[in-house]
Amino acid sequence: MNTLISLTDNLRTFWSYTGFYNAEPGHLVMILIGLVFIYLAITKEYEPLLLIPIGFGILVGNIPFNEAANLQVGIYEEGSVLNILYQGVVQGWYPPLIFLGIGAMTDFSALIANPKLILIGAAAQFGIFGAYIIALQLGFAPNEAGAIGIIGGADGPTAIFTTSKLAPHLLGAVAISAYSYMALVPVIQPPFMRLLTTQKERVIKMKTPRVVSQTEKILFPIMGMLLTTFLVPSGLPLLGMLFFGNLLKESGVTRRLAETARGPLIDTITILLGFTVGASTQATTFLRVESVKVFAIGALSFVIATCTGILFVKFLNLFLSNEKKINPLIGNSGVSAVPDSARISQTIGLEYDPANYLLMHAMGPNVAGVIGSAVAAGILLGFLY
Amino acid sequence: MRIIKRIIFLFATVALLSGCSTQVKNPEWVINEVMVVNETNFVDDFGQRHGWIEIYNNTAKTMDLGGRFLTNDRNNPKKYPIPRGDVLTRIKPHQHALFWADGNPFNGTFHLNFELDPTKDNWIGLYDNDGKKLLDEIIIPAGMLADQTFGYAQDGIKYNETGTASGVLLERVTPSSNNAILEENPKVVSLQEDDPLGGLLTVTSMLVVFFGLIALYFFFKLSGNIAKSMTQKKVAQSGTLSAVRSHSHLSGEVLAAIAAAIHEMKEDQHDIESTILTIHQVKRNFSPWSTKRQSLRELPR
Repeated sequence: MNTLISLTDNLRTFWSYTGFYNAEPGHLVMILIGLVFIYLAITKEYEPLLLIPIGFGILVGNIPFNEAANLQVGIYEEGSVLNILYQGVVQGWYPPLIFLGIGAMTDFSALIANPKLILIGAAAQFGIFGAYIIALQLGFAPNEAGAIGIIGGADGPTAIFTTSKLAPHLLGAVAISAYSYMALVPVIQPPFMRLLTTQKERVIKMKTPRVVSQTEKILFPIMGMLLTTFLVPSGLPLLGMLFFGNLLKESGVTRRLAETARGPLIDTITILLGFTVGASTQATTFLRVESVKVFAIGALSFVIATCTGILFVKFLNLFLSNEKKINPLIGNSGVSAVPDSARISQTIGLEYDPANYLLMHAMGPNVAGVIGSAVAAGILLGFLY
Repeated sequence: MRIIKRIIFLFATVALLSGCSTQVKNPEWVINEVMVVNETNFVDDFGQRHGWIEIYNNTAKTMDLGGRFLTNDRNNPKKYPIPRGDVLTRIKPHQHALFWADGNPFNGTFHLNFELDPTKDNWIGLYDNDGKKLLDEIIIPAGMLADQTFGYAQDGIKYNETGTASGVLLERVTPSSNNAILEENPKVVSLQEDDPLGGLLTVTSMLVVFFGLIALYFFFKLSGNIAKSMTQKKVAQSGTLSAVRSHSHLSGEVLAAIAAAIHEMKEDQHDIESTILTIHQVKRNFSPWSTKRQSLRELPR
């Protein structure tokens, strides 16, 4: 009889440790969201390199367990494996490493050939500050509003880096929001591109960019780094690594380093970053009204960034001669979702003129957006951290 | 030569701009708070009350005080050598070390071999390992009352905007802790008060973003023009068809027609043409820019 009681007690204790016993509705909601991410990544191929790690991370992070038992399995439990990996997000050293890889894989030729496209990348940063204003009106503190606003930069690493400093408690919501909307750029941007442009504007053919010399390509990361970081030193980790990666690529003498940065290194960090950000969305800390607000403002910030980019091109066109006019369909590319938003310019452009290839032109503001959002992040850190 | 002049001008401008800041830098180690007469205040490990000197690590890195010298005598900079090898002298970023001015150095690392005198000005200096380089100094005015401290209102902020030392009698006695207790981020608080709508920050930030990227624009506009003119010179010297194209704005087809006509005339091939020569531009219909693979996999609906 005693043996039977002990067995029952053991099973009861074991049961209290299982996920079934500790599950709350929030966990199931989050697991559902994780499954949607994985579904979107596999069937729709929306940013699969990010959504698969994040989606699976959400599943892992929301397996319910007995938190009081100090099992050291949760991402917020000090010393757990997930917690150690998560330090790269919390301390903000994954994003600069991602930027190193981005720099090593980005060709800035389109920007160097037609430098006025840089300004479109600046205009699109209105998305960040528009969202900042909205977040303030919704009752967020300035530092929280800054972290939410950075979603409008459409740059996951920048958003994570900035939020980890300004409002670490919003990190999960901001990161998931930024990556979700980046994946949904093909859905968010086209309606506004059509709405804000005329038929005549959509078929503007831009001059083929000139060929850029190797010297110019080498000068770009050096001068870019010096000019931007002297202005905004708080953006140094992101901008320094971005331009360093680009110099590795363009110098022509560090091919092995460039290949590592844009290959194994960025892949490793992407896996760790995506997975731990996903796992950080534990229902107990993530499912809050605040997170819903963050998602809503994040969507608006993308819309604002898209619209201001397009409107700024139209404004620029007022001062440009006919042969130098810019197709406003590349204005959406000012957000730094590289290269997705540039691809959208290309696709929408082709709809209206099958011989009008906008991709190479759109890559200019697209990479300028990366620089612009990193500068904007530096400014926010300078003012709010 | 013109390019070199432009580059020199650019560097000179940057150098001038960098030299604009006249702000005096706060030292890495700051003698942050000093109590001369301790009657009812903080007690040392031996249960005794003495005057004390708080030193603040004003950097973002852990630094070791071991091997440096504390003194109250300008003529004897090496008066109290802070012992080396004590882990407690490794001070974390923006943290404090407290030394007891009790004249009992054998009581431990943090007990000095001198005392402070309330009847006169107390000069206190912290010297580097060589005993020559003065790291920081402070003068505590005579007549300090019991349990009163003199120091800086904010940790490590020694100099005010005019560059003068800003030591004051402190409102609160805070041994080994922050002189100013910050409950909230002062930047955030001031923004909440001065810019509740966020418009000011938005305008300022966008100006900075535009300024930074406009600077890049001008640089690459300039370097692009230089690169273009250098390429044109090289091509012109080569004497090829590309040289003509680079100097004229005529299309490739027009130049090809002119070249064909000149060739015919020079070779004296035909006086009267029996056919019409049509030049078709050779187009590659496929390029990486037009491939569907580079585009969206599905059109947005």
